[in-house]
Parts: sequence; C-alpha cells; structure tokens
Amino acid sequence: MITKHQTDAITTLETLAEGLEAQLHHEVRALLASWEKKKAEYSGEHYTYTVRGKDIRVANYEESLSHTKVPKIALPQFKDWGEIVRWCMQENVPGEFPFTAGVYPFKRTNEDPTRMFAGEGGPERTNRRFHYLSKGMPAARLSTAFDSVTLYGEDPDHRPDIYGKIGNSGVSIATLDDAKKLYSGFDLCSPTTSVSMTINGPAPMLLAFFMNAAIDQECEKVIRERGLVENVEEKIDAIYAAKGLSRPIYRHGDGSTELPDGNNGLGLLLLGVTGDQVLPADVYAECRKRALQSVRGTVQADILKEDQAQNTCIFSTEFALRLMGDVQKYFIDEGVRNFYSVSISGYHIAEAGANPITQLAFTLANGFTYVEYYLSRGMDINDFAPNLSFFFSNGVDPEYSVIGRVARKIWAKAIKQMYGGNERSQMLKYHIQTSGRSLHAQEIDFNDIRTSLQALYAIYDNCNSLHTNAYDEAITTPTEESVRRAVAIQLIINRELGLAKNENPLQGSFIIEELTDLVEEAVYTEFRRIAERGGVLGAMENMYQRNKIQEESLYYETLKHTGEYPIIGVNTFLSSKGSPTVIPQEVIRSTTDEKEQQINNVRSVQDRNASTTTEALAELRQKAIHNQNIFAALMEAAKVCSLGQMTHALYEVGGQYRRNM
Amino acid sequence: MESPAPYAPQNKVRIVTAASLFDGHDAAINVMRRIIQATGCEVIHLGHNRSVMDVVECAIQEDAQAIAMTSYQGGHVEYLTYMRNLLVERGASHIKIFAGGGGTILPSEIETLHANGITRVYSPDDGRSMGLQGMINDLVEKSDFVTPLNYANGLAQSVQEKDPMAIAQAISCAERGDSQRIAFTVNGKRSPVLGITGTGGAGKSSLTDEIVRRFLLDHPDKTIAVVSVDPSKRKTGGALLGDRIRMNAVSDPRVYMRSFATREANVAINPHVRDAINILSYAGFDLIIVETAGIGQSDSQITDVADVSMYVMTPEYGAATQLEKIDMIDYADVIALNKFDKRGALDALRDVRKQYQRSRQLFTSKIDDMPVYGTIASQFNDPGTNTLYRALNDLLTHRCNLSWSSNFEITDEMSEKIFIIPPERTRYLAEIVENNRRYDAFVEKQSELARALWRVQGAIEQLTTSKQQ
Repeated sequence: MITKHQTDAITTLETLAEGLEAQLHHEVRALLASWEKKKAEYSGEHYTYTVRGKDIRVANYEESLSHTKVPKIALPQFKDWGEIVRWCMQENVPGEFPFTAGVYPFKRTNEDPTRMFAGEGGPERTNRRFHYLSKGMPAARLSTAFDSVTLYGEDPDHRPDIYGKIGNSGVSIATLDDAKKLYSGFDLCSPTTSVSMTINGPAPMLLAFFMNAAIDQECEKVIRERGLVENVEEKIDAIYAAKGLSRPIYRHGDGSTELPDGNNGLGLLLLGVTGDQVLPADVYAECRKRALQSVRGTVQADILKEDQAQNTCIFSTEFALRLMGDVQKYFIDEGVRNFYSVSISGYHIAEAGANPITQLAFTLANGFTYVEYYLSRGMDINDFAPNLSFFFSNGVDPEYSVIGRVARKIWAKAIKQMYGGNERSQMLKYHIQTSGRSLHAQEIDFNDIRTSLQALYAIYDNCNSLHTNAYDEAITTPTEESVRRAVAIQLIINRELGLAKNENPLQGSFIIEELTDLVEEAVYTEFRRIAERGGVLGAMENMYQRNKIQEESLYYETLKHTGEYPIIGVNTFLSSKGSPTVIPQEVIRSTTDEKEQQINNVRSVQDRNASTTTEALAELRQKAIHNQNIFAALMEAAKVCSLGQMTHALYEVGGQYRRNM
Repeated sequence: MESPAPYAPQNKVRIVTAASLFDGHDAAINVMRRIIQATGCEVIHLGHNRSVMDVVECAIQEDAQAIAMTSYQGGHVEYLTYMRNLLVERGASHIKIFAGGGGTILPSEIETLHANGITRVYSPDDGRSMGLQGMINDLVEKSDFVTPLNYANGLAQSVQEKDPMAIAQAISCAERGDSQRIAFTVNGKRSPVLGITGTGGAGKSSLTDEIVRRFLLDHPDKTIAVVSVDPSKRKTGGALLGDRIRMNAVSDPRVYMRSFATREANVAINPHVRDAINILSYAGFDLIIVETAGIGQSDSQITDVADVSMYVMTPEYGAATQLEKIDMIDYADVIALNKFDKRGALDALRDVRKQYQRSRQLFTSKIDDMPVYGTIASQFNDPGTNTLYRALNDLLTHRCNLSWSSNFEITDEMSEKIFIIPPERTRYLAEIVENNRRYDAFVEKQSELARALWRVQGAIEQLTTSKQQ
C-alpha cells in the first residue's frame, strides 16, 4: 500500500528533480540523453562516422588468437550521471571534444605513420635514398634533413669553413633545380605523397623551392598529356642555346645519370626552366593553382623555439615572425589546405635539456603566440588553425605517458571557448619522435629498449605520427640495419602487440588521470610565469626560456653524474668491461665530387639567371619594405635566385639575427 | 674525480670563444667560457654560428692569445685548418687554437688537426681523464704568454696603416704600462669620440651596433673604431667581454673593435682607454665610439673622454623621483630611451625630458626639444634610432667642426613599434589559463548537478517501486 507520505515525498522529489534539471546546461542534458546510444554505437559490430561528407565504416572489435573480441574503443561502465558528465566533458571518446584521447575516432588502418627520413650529400643521393625507403610502400612520407649550410640560408662555396659542411648531416639544397631533383619521381600533388622539411630560419625560401617544384611537376604532367614534350624540349634547348649554356641534368657524384629504381623521372623535364617559360600563362596559372591546392606536407618553420633552444635563427626574430605570417596568409589566399605551415616543436626544447613539463608548456605557449599573432594580422582562426601542427619529444619520464592527452585537452578548450574555433581548429595534431638525448654512447644495444618503451607511450597516447630513433644515433649516422630495427619497433607494437589493438588503453586508469591533471596544472603554472614576463616574446627578451632549459639540463646532468638518476649501462649495472663509450670507426661524409657538383650547380644557376635575379631581388626587397607579402615575392624569386641570394637580400631589409648571451 | 685547482695565469690572458659556422650547439662552449673566465682570463665570447673570418679578425683585433672553439656539425677539419692558415697568413701565428666537438671529431681527425697546427683538440676521453677544470688549466697554461710584437715597418707606421694587429698590440702595450713604445701616439690629432654608457640590460650594445650600421651606410668612405669596456671580476681577475656578440656591424672591414676589461674595481673606464683613443686617433679613424658598462656612480667618467656623450636607459626605472638620482641625466648630451615599446614609455619620455630640462635650467626651451629619444634597437630600421643617429651625427659634426654630410632624413614620427602581439593582448596565456579553468569549474558544477539529479531520480524510482509492491 502506498502512504500519503510516500506520495508527498515523490512530489517533493520530482520538484527537486525539475529544479536540478533546469540548472543542467542543455548540452549536458543532451549528453546524458545520448549516453546509452553512444555506448551502443561502440558495442555493435561496426561503427559508422562521416569525414568530409564520406561515410566510413569501421569494425568495433579485433579478434585475438583465443577468439577474444578486443574492443577498439572501450567505454566506462559508469552508472553515476556525475561520472558520465565529467568523463564526457574532460575525457570523451577519441575524436570528440576535448579530444583528450585522440583527435580522430579511429586510427587509420591503411597507413603506418612511418616517415622515410633522409638527407645526405647532394639532391641526387638523397633522392635515391627516398626511393629506396619508399619502395613497395603504399604512401611516400618523405622527411627531409638539410645540411647546415642550407639550414643557415647560405649557398655551397669553396670557402673552407663552408666547404666541409656541404652535404653532411643533411642534403645540400640551394636552388629550384636542387629541389626538383630531390623529389623527382614522387608525384608531389598526389594524396599519397607528403613531404616534411626540417628547416627553420630559411624555411620560406625552401618552401618556395618546394612549391615551385610541385607546380612545375603539374606543368610537366600537362605537357605530357597534351603531347607537347618535343615542343617543350625545343623551347628549352632554344633558351639554353641563346645563352650558350648546356642544360642542367640529374647526375650523381660519381658521374652516373641513371635514375634510381622507382624514379620515373617526373619533375626532371623542366629542370633548368620554370613552367611559365614554356606554357601559355593561363595553362601555367591552372597548374599552379592545382599544385598549391593539392600539395601535402609540413615545414618546421618554428622560429620561436629556434631562439629559445636550437639557434638556427638567421633573421631578426620579428622579421622571421613576419615571414611566417606571410606564408600562412599566402596559404589562406591560395587555398593551400593540406600543408602545415609550421610544426610547433618541443623536440628541440627537450633535446636542449628541458623536462617534459617545460617542453609541453613552452611549446603550447609558442603555439598560442602564433595564434595571437595571426589573429592580430586579421586572419580567421578557422582559416589558419588547421594549418598548425605540433612536434614533441618522447622520453622515459612519467609525464611522457600523458603528453599528448594534456596537449590536446588544453588546446581544444582554449581554441573552442576563447578563440571560438571550429572542431577542425580545436584538434591538435602532433608528430612525436623518441628522445635523442635518452640514447647513450655506452652499451648502445640498450638504446632500442629505451626507444621501444618511448614508442609504446606514444602509441598508447594516440600520436598522429611517430619517428623511432636508431640505436646507434648517439654515435654516428644510422645505418640501414639500425634504421630497420627502429622501424620494426613501431611495426611490432602496431601489428603484434595485442593491447595495441585497443585504441584507448590509457583511459580509465587512475594514475593516467591523475598524471593528466598534474601535468595540466603544471603547464598552467608555467603559462602564468610566462604571462608575468609579458608573454612568450617578453620572456624571450630576458632569456627566460633559455635559462630555464639550461637549469633543467644541469639538474639532469648532476643527477646522472651522482647516480641518483639511474641509467642502465651508463652509471649503473656496468658490464665487466665497465661499459666503455663506443667510438664509431668511420662516419658517412659527402664526397668531394658531390661538394664540387653542388658548388658548380649553384654557380651555373646564378650565372644563367644573372639578368633576371637583380630584378627579382629588387622586387623582393621592395615588397618587404612596403609591408607586402614577402612569401609571394619569394615564390617568384625562387624561380631564378639561389638560397644565399635571397637570404642576403632579406638581411638588407629585415635585419640579421642578433646573438644573445 | 677530484677537480684540480684553477691555474693562475702570470699574464693577462685573453681568449676568444665561439661555436663553429652553421653550428647552433652552444651549450658546451657556454660551460667552457665560464670556467675560462673563472680561471682568471678575459673572455671575448662570440656565440654560435661564427665564420673563420669572424673569429680570426676578432682574435687579431682583440690581441688574444688563443681561440677556443666547439664544432658539433661536421666540417671541423676544414674549418680549423682554414683558421690556422688564415692566422698564419695575417701574421698572427702566435694565436693558438683549441677545440672540442665530443664524439663528432674522430680520433684520426684529431691527429690530422694537431699535425695542421691546431694546438689541442680535446676528445671525450680527455674530458673524462682531465675533467673540465683540467682541460681549461691546460688551455690557459698554454696561452699564458705575452703576445709577440713583430712588424716589418715598425709599430708607428703599421698603426698608421690601420693594421689591426698593430693597433691591437699597441693598445696591449698601453695596458701593460709600456707607455714608451706608444709614445708616438701622444699629442697627435684627436678623432671625434662618442661616449655611450647606460644601465645593464638597457640594450646599449644593440643600440651601438645600430649606430655603427647607420654610420657605415651614411658615410661609405669613413672608418669607425669601437672601444667597449666591461667590468673585471674582483675575485678571479677574469672578465666576460660580452659586447662583441651583439655587434653584427663590426664584421665590416671599415670597423675596428676592441674590448676592455676594467681591471680595477669600481671604475667604469679602464685607465688605458685614453691611450687607446690616442692610438686609434693616430690610426686615423673618423669616429671612435667608447662604450662603458653602467655601474652607477662612475658612469659620468665617460664624459671626461668623450666629445659627445649618450646615456642609454629604458622606461623601466621606477618612479619619476628615481630620475633625480641618475647622474648621467645631468651630464649626457643625448639620452636614448631604449625599449620604447615597453609599457609607460610615453610617460617616461616626458619625465626624462623634464629631468633633463630641470638639471640644466633650460626652462625657456620647449620640453619636446630636449635631446631625449625613444628608440627600439631590436626593431630593424627603427625610426626612433634613425632620429637618434642623425642627432648624434649632427652634434658631433658641430662640436668637432667636422665636414660630415649626412643623408639620413630626420622624420618627426615617433618610434612606433610594429607589434607582433598587440600590447593589450600580452596577457593571452593568463587568459587561456582562466578560460580553461572556467571550463573545468563548469564541468565540476554540471557533474555535481547531474549526480544530484541521478540520486533524486533514484530515490523517486525506489519510492515508486515500493509503491507498486
């Protein structure tokens, strides 16, 4: 029987419930209403979602050898609405705000996030290496390392302090011809090609070389489609005959002109000229447009971390930032949507000695600085935020287990609520590389173990792409054998390791949640410190970031020295021989032929374009002085000028970097 | 391992430190230069990415005994051998080269380099067996000598020919108290001298660099010498001569630069700066800039040697009354208010002008006519620095009766900064923290509400269930 008391109680409670429900935000109400439906979506056989208007159907389970159905996304078993609300708003499934567990609902299955890293000698040698690495792979993800001459924006030269560095620790690229050879045989406008360029100070010039190489590839395709090859060859011959010069060619240091296996020659037809010299203006304009809108890749171009940690600044910081803004503006104006204009990098900050919290805080702070700068130039957040990408280092410290989670969460919350960015803008995408500093020159075999653990952190944390270092990198240039082992680390985790079949293995762990909160709080504390110093640029003026990185580096070195921070085979657990430092027998260096060829090539480009470079450089300087888009001018100058010529022209109007102590 | 005691040099040892060309790895050289300084040397630090020419010219102009380099980016054999050859070619074979590059320099290459005349390349094994101080002791001991004088045409004529080594060594003679050898420079014609002083961190050397750059552009046929003075450490006798690292314009062949350590406590000027001015005048430089560290009371010593003197400060001096304590406002001909993009810059400009006016009783002149200029040396082609440069140029021309003609236009425009981050937005990081914390608080609140609602709904459910039973 029901008493009146009970009826009264129910009425009172219902009033109370109504009042509470009224206080719930409508989105929170919707979230609670759809919770069971969401769970159901992940528990059926398949999950269906939409990307750019296309339905994608993914299996929700992977079966193990024991026939266990391992869910790709495991959801919490919460009943308490308070827990459900908090989880959905602070964690959520991968692919949904605040993207703590990942920016996409599922991992791509057709493409391993393995980059093909190369850079040695002249463009021909690196091109051969790229083709070797990408042979038989469904996608070409070319990561380019440049030699230090290129990294500082200069041309190869016989001057001995330059000469010894040509083509060492990276490829020498000084002209558009070099860029064409470097990427020849890869369709730069294909959706399965992406190119990453590790360059900062002179990034705009190298990007201009790359873009022009892509444009001329599109021109070449049109020329071939329309059967104009002979006609174009005649035109080029005529241009060179008029100058009394011979046409540039693809040629290895040893004199062979043979194309490597897999290189079909695309990009070499127009070596020595640009498409606009041999095609009607309207056809060239179409090719140009098509190329710019389809190229995929990343240029590092992060000048803030250069000044804070890595020192490859060449221009005054303000001018360098302006150049970055011009590149981004150009991307927006020309519809360059699939190319990241900057890779906001914590890697070098960590390599210089920063701990993971400082790495994360400085990097995110730098990222927000670019956001503020681009906004102040009148760009729309949704026009540029999707062009930003991040790059972190991954060590063995506990904080590295949540670095991606914290980064995604902080970024999404700020971009959504403070800057009003859309979902695409809220998604922080990052590449991560295992820490070079954590590799040791003693017991180098142990390095692969460290790299494996770091790779595990990264994969569990849903990084968007990963580079695993070779174990011998601490002492020399990696060999084919050591690189293969490094790639195997990723493949074994992705293909063999059972738990990695699940795509949110960190969610729901008490320690992961607590670490996430602790690291997030620590990042905010650092943000406040930087804010007190007038923001990132204000802090840089007083060398705040540099000093903090140095202090943290010293702290690590001290603990390593005293043994308080144990490193197996380095300061403890030494072998019976004392784990001596391994010294390499020889190091791969560029050959004299390659160096001479690079010098000859850059000189011949300068000579054959002597009449046009003066004008192009004058135009470049004028655009800079009158606050017009410098990158647009660089796109033109790069057709005829060498890297060093452009760098020096910009020094006159933008100022050289002034070193600090 | 026990660290050995620092070696005590018998002579004043001057060492140039730098990292190789196209090489940004400066962590090691920064550690080394500190130890070298603590071992009682005067260190002229050039920082990273330095060409052989930069380093060699610096070592000669500074009359250094040695160069200490790091190279981690490859090409070290060519780099260091070229450095040695260039020193020999310039008649400076007495300048020793020391280097290190960890594991990037192979043992066989170390042998080659030693055979090529590099005094010592330290390997990681040396580091382990000698320790840092041990390596530096070795380096300093090998550099502990008086640089030899050796001129075909005699010191006087070589100085007159602006031979940088002759000038450098003449100045060193003065510093050693060997006044007889430089007697020929006394009572000669004196070049105009611009004195620059200011507080530490005000951007003195950047501003000096910008003035030198404009001078070179404005007067394509004229030469300039820069003398810069930094304090010595009383405890060790060492000094960090850090102005050169900021100076991009000094690599021009029309520039000679010499860094001084005060070598005495509580002075802003090395007593031998006067000798240096005589020597540089004898060499015929068209302009001599003397830059001194601001250490407070003794700043105004600069006015004793300068024809025109400038004081560099920033808007961050605190309350306006602080200005009354600054001696140099009373003595300087011109004041540069650098870092003019800082908050409160316009108020500072007014206050400093007022103080300048008050200290000279110039009450009949307009306050805007006081020679106080807002500058942003870090901004390329800063209009404020242009105005300042022109004012200095005109004042020197007038005071020293020169026939200089300047092509630099005077513009009335203020030095207006092209902001990367607009001043009203500099709190962006704090705002992000506030924004994200606001979201977190919102989530907690909603979570609590949802939990309460869940409990109430549960209670209703319980009551309803029992009702039905």
